[in-house]
Amino acid sequence: MTSKFRDLLVTNILAVVAGLVVSGLLLLFLGKDPLAATLTLFGSLFRDGYTAAEILVKATPLMFTALAFGFTYKANLFNIGAQGQFYIGAVVAVAFSLMFQNSMPGILALIIIVLLTILAGGLWGGLIGWLKAKFNANEFLVSMMSTYVALNIMNYLLRTFLMETKAEYPQTNPLDKAVWLMTIIPGTRLHVGFVLAVLACIGAWVLLYKTPFGFRVRAVGSNKDAAEMAGINSRNIYILAFFISGALGAMGGFCEVNGVQHMLVQNFNPGVGSAGIGIAILANGDPIGIIFASILFGALQVGGNIMGQLSGIPSSIIDLMLGFVMIFVILSYFVREVLETRREKARLKKAVSA
Amino acid sequence: MIISLLTRTITMGTPLLYGSLSEVYAERSGVMNTAIEGIFLMGAWAGFVGTYLSGGNLLIGLLAAIAAGILTAALYGWITIYLKQHQIVTGTAINILALGICAFFQRVIFGVPVTPLIVQPFKPIAIPLLSQIPVIGPILFNQNILTYLLYALVPVASFVLYKTSLGLSIRSIGENPEAGDVAGLRVDQIRFLTILFAGILCGVGGAFYSIGYLGMFTTTIIGGRGWIAFAICFLGNWIPLGALAGTLIFGLAEAVAIFMQSSGAGLFPNELFIALPYILTIILTVSRRSFNVPEKLGVPYRKEG
Repeated sequence: MTSKFRDLLVTNILAVVAGLVVSGLLLLFLGKDPLAATLTLFGSLFRDGYTAAEILVKATPLMFTALAFGFTYKANLFNIGAQGQFYIGAVVAVAFSLMFQNSMPGILALIIIVLLTILAGGLWGGLIGWLKAKFNANEFLVSMMSTYVALNIMNYLLRTFLMETKAEYPQTNPLDKAVWLMTIIPGTRLHVGFVLAVLACIGAWVLLYKTPFGFRVRAVGSNKDAAEMAGINSRNIYILAFFISGALGAMGGFCEVNGVQHMLVQNFNPGVGSAGIGIAILANGDPIGIIFASILFGALQVGGNIMGQLSGIPSSIIDLMLGFVMIFVILSYFVREVLETRREKARLKKAVSA
Repeated sequence: MIISLLTRTITMGTPLLYGSLSEVYAERSGVMNTAIEGIFLMGAWAGFVGTYLSGGNLLIGLLAAIAAGILTAALYGWITIYLKQHQIVTGTAINILALGICAFFQRVIFGVPVTPLIVQPFKPIAIPLLSQIPVIGPILFNQNILTYLLYALVPVASFVLYKTSLGLSIRSIGENPEAGDVAGLRVDQIRFLTILFAGILCGVGGAFYSIGYLGMFTTTIIGGRGWIAFAICFLGNWIPLGALAGTLIFGLAEAVAIFMQSSGAGLFPNELFIALPYILTIILTVSRRSFNVPEKLGVPYRKEG
């Protein structure tokens, strides 16, 4: 283990613990015992197989939104619009599921739905990259705004074309079982989307680190001008990287709709995009790290919900935990820089005195 | 009808102008304030809590909002300016934290209220004589105190930025911090103080939504308006008067959205009007060509050696 990797591991663990401790202490304001709450949290996470599997269920969309931020991040682009890409994926998935569910075998329908989700999310995201490439538009702002546009498209469709037959609430009809994603552990909600998410992470890692395309993405990310000198067309990279990010975010929406909700309701998963950014930062943008960071955040979500049910702690504790963990993770970046500089200095001293 | 639309333009533009002016100052010094959405939310929440707990004292609410704005901005400034961490990443973290803090402490303070909590917001004050002027009077001079404060703030902000040595210092460290450093400016300190000032303005801007307009607080009260203020700074070319112009456009967009929703014009879906300011931001971001970006925007200043 290199000392750099050891730093990464130790400081990140410390950061997560610090974030949890601080938000735990705030429970005192509610007159709750933080220690008891923590015991409830961890005790309940592993009380039965269903809850443990629920962690992975929650981690699934987070892996996708984290990748959606993380992939473009490697090209030094900021895709803050994962939430909107997630919504676009959810809308496309539910619309085509409703359309195809009775007209073809489930597995064929699912394959077509996945392809359409990827295409729609990719175009939605790729548009941001194209605006950046063609007009030098600020991708941070455009992607940020695209989330609000996607949200309003979803809301509009939910009370018009996609609205349930009863026409009572802004939600769709439930999906037919034929287009549900298969459950992989009976008796839990864990579905095959989790496997897809892990494969997407591994795939993104291979793409980024083992292919010429990934090399070009990272080259543009580390030094755009140098990459251009070397003949890399950074504009194409912008469009392609954003296409991939958009498709990944949309896949998160597909997995939630076809794997968990089996319908589309208004205001669902409103924090999945920003949590994804937090995860990507915790993992330093590394796709494999994203798998583990997502499971951690999934555990926090499940634990936060259980705390709410068992001891009346509000679910806003989840945002509080996420926020503090992220702040401490960013501080750990600083600590690592200091440690690295120190090591560098020690090395130089040694070299000089030798 | 036109008059009521334009009156609302000024009203809805007020918080956006507080936000975009703060952003102009922050970014001119070289720091993108990406925590703006979170600071708006903190301001809105603290303003509401201060007002409610003091039995409806709006001044206390406003001071609470300013304090919350300064504190949040201080955390952001410490991490990005002194610890040199990434500004967009830090801003995202602070925005999530702000959401958690507001939602959590709202619950701590008020429990689960049976009836919605409301306060009496700042009322419009008709200025004698001036408000009698046809057309302009009711539009410009029948607003609340927070809007009137802006009438003074825009020219002062513009004057300070361009005609004083303080403004010169702020602008120069955003363009060339090395030169400023050599000339004896304490780059990090000036940036930090500028961010604190931005925190004050954003706190007030956020408080406008809770205690200057709606008289209540929900965690979705800001709903991306902080980012719109952020965008206005870009679109206004980092100039206070540009921010003013941009604000009027966005204020009008919001006023039209509210008008179309309430008048129930069934021709277009409501969602189109709700999304209008965001679509407008994208269109304007794409169509703006000549940018006057501060040279070192977003780059932490690291001394050599």
